Parts: sequence; structure tokens; C-alpha cells
Amino acid sequence: MPLIEARGLTKKFRQAVKEPGLVGSLKHFFSRQYRDKIAVDHIDFSVEAGESVAYLGPNGAGKSTTIKMLTGILVPTSGSLVVDGLVPHEKRQQNARKIGVVFGQRTQLWWDIPVIESFNLARDMYEIPAARYRDNLAQFTEILGLAEFMNLPAAKISLGQRMRADLCMALLHDPRILYLDEPTIGLDIAVKDSIRGFIRSRIEERGTTVILTTHDLGDIEDICKRIVIIDNGKIIHDGDLAKLKDTYARDRVIHFQLARPPESMGPIGAGLPACEITTDGLRLSVRFDRFKLAAGEIAAAVMPHVEVVDFRIDEPEVEDLIRKVYLGQLSLSPDAPQTGVLAGA
Amino acid sequence: MSGLRKYSAIARTSLEITFLYRTSFALNMIGSIFYVFAMFYLWQTIFLGSPGALGGFTWPEMKAYLLVAFLLNALMTWFAEWNMSVDLREGRVATDLARPMDFQASRFASAVGPVPFEFCSAVAVGAVVALMFGGIALPADGAHAAVFLVSAAMATLIKFGLVYCVSMTAFWTTGTDGITVGRAAVQNLFSGALIPLIFFPDWLRAVAAVLPFQGMVSTPALIYLGKMDTPTTALMLGVQALWAVGLILLGRLAWRGAQRAVTINGG
Repeated sequence: MPLIEARGLTKKFRQAVKEPGLVGSLKHFFSRQYRDKIAVDHIDFSVEAGESVAYLGPNGAGKSTTIKMLTGILVPTSGSLVVDGLVPHEKRQQNARKIGVVFGQRTQLWWDIPVIESFNLARDMYEIPAARYRDNLAQFTEILGLAEFMNLPAAKISLGQRMRADLCMALLHDPRILYLDEPTIGLDIAVKDSIRGFIRSRIEERGTTVILTTHDLGDIEDICKRIVIIDNGKIIHDGDLAKLKDTYARDRVIHFQLARPPESMGPIGAGLPACEITTDGLRLSVRFDRFKLAAGEIAAAVMPHVEVVDFRIDEPEVEDLIRKVYLGQLSLSPDAPQTGVLAGA
Repeated sequence: MSGLRKYSAIARTSLEITFLYRTSFALNMIGSIFYVFAMFYLWQTIFLGSPGALGGFTWPEMKAYLLVAFLLNALMTWFAEWNMSVDLREGRVATDLARPMDFQASRFASAVGPVPFEFCSAVAVGAVVALMFGGIALPADGAHAAVFLVSAAMATLIKFGLVYCVSMTAFWTTGTDGITVGRAAVQNLFSGALIPLIFFPDWLRAVAAVLPFQGMVSTPALIYLGKMDTPTTALMLGVQALWAVGLILLGRLAWRGAQRAVTINGG
């Protein structure tokens, strides 16, 4: 049985609609107009224990709303949701015991008191047995490097320190499920790496299930095996990350740096009929389908005609892939694989 | 009860944070001391104009009444200023809800944490003011004092229930500043904090009698002064208890409704 199971999960909000300007405000003051916004629209998904899922979508797509329903903070309008045998909003507190939540945009730490005291409060709130608390705290302090700011209040530490402390706090009670809402937002590379490494270790060592929303594609590639994409409240893709790349990110671009501008493109083009060739001064770029041609074959076709000083190969980035999905330039339906749309965008 | 420990941890932390904001706390206290002085001089003038008892109050009793009102208003001040709409706007409520805590109970814990400190500071300040104005009436005996403390505790519960209910409106309106100010104004009038209810015209006193506010100042103050006989005292304590329980339950009901109705900010 899956750990998380959502069927037809829907959340509708009533939004107040106001016309612009003073007149609009005045109208709004006397008679309010509302319209329904469907933030999450009949979505189905299930997550097995131990899975790590990236939950992606443009701003306002319904990601946070879904996370809030999963954590029991919001009550679904319709549909069913079961998390580890519980309906989260009905058993919010019991559910809360089994989950850890990190919201990148706001802290769980108490602003005014030393970080260590926030951890102690977590111990009391989650009723963590003393020995387990001591072990976890010691371990996390070391891995995340918390010792240097443990006695400072959250208000006085940097964003990177705060995120590491937040992550520690969310995991002290060994939750089965960890919800991460943009955990690396605004962080430098070193801190991102440390946070991603830590999350990975929890997945591997403790079998923690991770649901991650992010706009940082590095988070996804480092942590998640599966991606689910939501847009306008509907799930538009749910599948394996590697498969997604194989299906949609087939193109590679090989860039040659030339010693002299090529005299004529004719012979090169003739040798590579299935490729798209572009030149820009001393640069020659060839776009190709990596399942049809190897980079070596391209090089073999180009080298006899020009003097190559240097070359490099661009892999399509997941980022481009996702961006195209968001922009509606790529439809992710398994029946209609597309090629030649991604690399070097 | 093992569940109690987490709430006492919240209460302790809340007290600790009050200490951290000692400047703000002190300024708040100084503000209310000025207010007490103003009230004292105002009523002194009134009593000077009509020597003897006024509405059944002697001047020493009136001084005691004003100081008891000051004391009761000082309790849970920090919580009373809590603005739920800010918490909602900044998404802090979501953080609270992700924890295995009852929302109202944890709010109560953080409201009640600073109360001992607020109580001691207000008593100290009140004692100084009392000495400056030549002493105040004290409760008739230990029993009166004890019943007063019970009544004061219930006054604080009513205050919690009321502020919590009012803050729930933040789920339906965007700002609660207006509602908070309105609540304070109505409360000051109908609790008897500005003028003892005995001075009200009959119809206004009838209104005050059916509202929860009299239990916040008037009832404990009159018990302190021994102005009510035993059956009346018992009845008024019962009314206080009913309001305290009623408002706390209403708050829970409102919270349930709120969870369904609501958008919590942040996508």
C-alpha cells in the first residue's frame, strides 16, 4: 500500500475580486464580488515509502496548496487523501508527529531565542525520547555544522545557517515523510550542497520519504528520482526523471571552435544530413539526436573540412526541459515523443 | 498528563521572550502608569467635589478599584496585542499547524507564560502608586483575597477567550487592526475599567450585565472590595466561568470554520 495516496484531490478558494483604482476599492467596500479559484484540480498520485519526489510547477500552479493539504493545514474541498493511514486534516496532530516540514521562505525556529532552545522546544513538542534526541542532535550538528551558531538567536544568523538549523529541527523526531518547500532558495552553492547531501543521506540511511517543491533544478537532480509536474492545478507529468530526459532531452549540441572561418558549409552539411548546423564567426555548432548519432561521428564529419581548435558538448538541462513544459512548448504525453526541441535553448 | 509538557515548554519560552523584550515591556508599563495617574487625578477631583461616598465608593475604595483595574488590564497584554492577521499574512500560522499541537492550547500557553511576570510588575507598580496617594483599601480578609484571585484568574481566561475569538476574524477579513481597536474600546467601557458600572445609567448597566466584559474588571474588583454578598459573589463567579468556557468553545468552533473557509498565504 502506498504511503501517500491522493484521489481526485481538489482545493477551491474563494477569491475577492476588486476592480482597479479607487472606484474599484469603493465598490469592493460596499459589495464584494468573489470568484472561485481552483488551486488543485482533481489530482491523483501515490507515493511509496522511501521515494523521493520532486513536485514542480510554475508559481501559483498549486504546489504549496497540495503540500498544505498533505500536512493537514488545509482541508481539501473534495477528493480523498490518505497519508500513512491517516486523513491529514482530520488527524492533523497525529499526522504532524510523523512528518517534518521545511518552508524555505519562513523559519520554524523561534526568532528571539538561541537556536538550541528552539531544538529543545521541538524535543518537547514532538515528545522525542531523551536518548534519541541526544543522538540525533549530535549527529545533525556535526553533519550540518551547526555548532558555531547554536547559541545565537535565529534573528542573528545568516540565511544559510538558518536553513541548516531549520532542516535539523524538521528531522529531530525522525519523521517518516519530509516535506521541503523550496529548501535552497537564496542559498549559496556550498550550503546548497551541504543541504542536498544531508537530505540524500536521510533518504538512503533512514528510508525517509521526501516530497520536494523547488525552482532549483539542481535540487531535483541531486535528490529526486521521480518528478511530478503540476500546472493550473492539474498534474501534467508524473514519472521517472531519467526517462523524462531520455524521452524529451535527446538532443545534444557540439560546438567547435575554429582556427579560421570555414570557406564553405556545403561539404559539412552534406556529411550530416540529419543535423542542424549553425555558424557564428569562428564557432560552428551542430545539433544532433544522440540516439541516432555519436559525438565521434559528428567530429569525424567536421574535422576534415575545418581546423578545429577546441570543442565542447552541451547537454540539455532539465531546466530547459521544465521551462518548455511550463511555457507550453512541450507537451508531456508519452504517446507523442518530440525531438529536436530542447538542446541549447 | 504527558501532553502538558509541550505546552508548558511553550509557556516558558513565551515568558523568556517577554524578558528579552524588556524595553518594550517597560515602555508599555510606563504608558499604563501615566494612564493610572490620569485616572487617579480625575477621580480625586471628582471626590474632592463631593466628599464622602460616591455611588457607594469611598475615595480609598475608588483608588483600590482603579489599581485592580490596572492590574487586570496588565495581564495578558502581550497576547491581547497579538495580531493574528499578521501571522496569517506572513504564513506563520502554517508553521504552527505543521506541529503536533492544539492551536488554541498552544496560543493559550504562550499567552499565559508571561502572566506571572506581568502580575508581579503590575503589583509592584500598583504598590508604589498606592503609597504616593496615601494608601488604598485592602480586601477585608484572606478569604476575600483568595476569592478575588480566583475571579482575577477567570477574568484572564475571559480575556484570552475574547481575544482569541476576535483574532479568528482575521481569517475572513484582511486586517484585524480595526477590530482589535474596537474590541479594546468596547471592553474598556463595558468591563468597568474606565468607570465603575454602578455609575452607568440603568439601561447601559443592563447592557453591560449581559456582556462578557464585566467579568474582566468589574466582578473581580467588586469582590476585592467586598461589595457583593456571598450569594451574589457565587452567582457572579458562575457567570464569569460560563463566559470563560463559552468564549473558549466559541473560539474552537470558529477555528474549525476558519480551517475550511480559508486561504493561508503562500500559493
